[in-house]
Amino acid sequence: MRKHLRQWLAAFLVAVVLLPLGGCALPGLSGSGNNTVRIASQNTTEQQIMAYVIAGMIGHYTNLNTTIINNLGSGNVSFNALKNKQADISSIRFNGTDLTTILNEKFERDPAKVNTTVTREFQQRYQMTYFKSYGFADTYAWMVKPAFAKKHHLKTVSDLKKLAPTMKVGIDQIWQNRQGDGYPAFQKMYGYSFGTVLPMQTGLLYDALSADKMDAILGYSTDGRVNSYHLKLLKDDKNFFPPYDGSAVATDAILKQHPELRSVLNRLVGKISLKTMQQLNYQVDDQLEEPQTVANNFLKEHHYFEGGND
Amino acid sequence: MKDMGLFSQLVYYFSHNGMYVLSQFNQTFLVSIYGVLLGAIVGIPLGIWISQYRRLSPVIIGIANVIQTIPSLAMLSILMLGLGLGQTTVIVTVFLYSLLPIIKNTYTGMLSVDADVLDAGKGMGMTRFQVMMTIRIPLSLSVIIAGIRNALVIGIGITVIGSFIGSGGLGDIIVRGTNATDGGAIILAGALPTALMAIITDLVLSFIEKRLTPKTSSER
Repeated sequence: MRKHLRQWLAAFLVAVVLLPLGGCALPGLSGSGNNTVRIASQNTTEQQIMAYVIAGMIGHYTNLNTTIINNLGSGNVSFNALKNKQADISSIRFNGTDLTTILNEKFERDPAKVNTTVTREFQQRYQMTYFKSYGFADTYAWMVKPAFAKKHHLKTVSDLKKLAPTMKVGIDQIWQNRQGDGYPAFQKMYGYSFGTVLPMQTGLLYDALSADKMDAILGYSTDGRVNSYHLKLLKDDKNFFPPYDGSAVATDAILKQHPELRSVLNRLVGKISLKTMQQLNYQVDDQLEEPQTVANNFLKEHHYFEGGND
Repeated sequence: MKDMGLFSQLVYYFSHNGMYVLSQFNQTFLVSIYGVLLGAIVGIPLGIWISQYRRLSPVIIGIANVIQTIPSLAMLSILMLGLGLGQTTVIVTVFLYSLLPIIKNTYTGMLSVDADVLDAGKGMGMTRFQVMMTIRIPLSLSVIIAGIRNALVIGIGITVIGSFIGSGGLGDIIVRGTNATDGGAIILAGALPTALMAIITDLVLSFIEKRLTPKTSSER
């Protein structure tokens, strides 16, 4: 009786010991092995496209494996994934957003200053390398339906002044209380407030506007849905919304471990314009293509940016 | 795209993203399988053990019961704090949820073996170990497989939710569909293969279960 008890105990212990081993190197899954680069991507279309673009580039130029950590809820979550060594590369970060949300620095309107501050501080405080911009900048933009614009002769954000008190507008959740370029500062600069302001998830804004549940929304200039819903962007005539350059960010640890990643990521610098990004977004948001398919087609079309800067 | 019907959108989607769906399908399948496999490695010996030392069974089954009551999203988030983002966390979650059906079924299977057969074995002079290997385990195998089948169907559901902590798989497609313009077709493109996977694994395992169900000589 004693003897058998021991046998079963031994079997149980072996199983328990095997368990953590199983976690890291199971065949068929890209685990967190030594040769795997983990790319953090948020739950927006452009984040996912760029994550697959980076994965495709790494696959083409190196023999490292990649795994994508998808659907992260916000820029903060994806930053923390990098900080806590759960990811190595963040697919897109916007320097203006990082300046005020991650670094808690004062709001700054000059893009060049934003760029130097964020690059320097990310390096010093968090040992992360901020790459140069992909070539597109995202910015907030007020959007209305073309019919609405025509009816009220809207061209610029200032034109909304007369209508504003009766308007129902949708914004994303961060903007309302944001320092520097948020709603409080907006009211000060343009000198009016909206009747009803409804904060919600970005994806819902476009649907709400097209279903006439809103009069205007604050969307992103790179969003593919601007095209698919034929929305009219109002000109920011007082230059309130600063452009935020989008770049890749990688931890110094992974760049040290695999120095070849630096040149791979540098190949993408300046190669993706606002128009290109809009178009890629459009293919995913409106043409039922998966981000991975769009990214691979894009890379093949451009021959993986070979012959660029090394 | 908006002028196409839902069904033709779905066909269009599959024809353009087939490889992607396939790879996500594989990933979801593997994560669930690994979780359940680990669950079986731990759960089956545990079930056999508590069937031999029955005083322990309320404790072990109680613990497994408590694990089962935690909502899967909460479990994923709790484990994420310790294990981080990604597939490992999801595999461990599937493992934990598969413990109860496997342990319970193993335990029940062991106890439901006919006492007469066991007596016959003992009368032939078999040791306890021989009784276990040649009588108890073979006769309860079909019940154990039923537990694994249960665990695998639960596991597939959890793996899909695991998309929220970055594990990828078919859940990604569903989540993306909820974000996209007119994402109905994309949601279906993720949900249909998931349902199909659950149904097919259930059918295959139920077939195996039937094959392993002990038959008396007159039934053969």
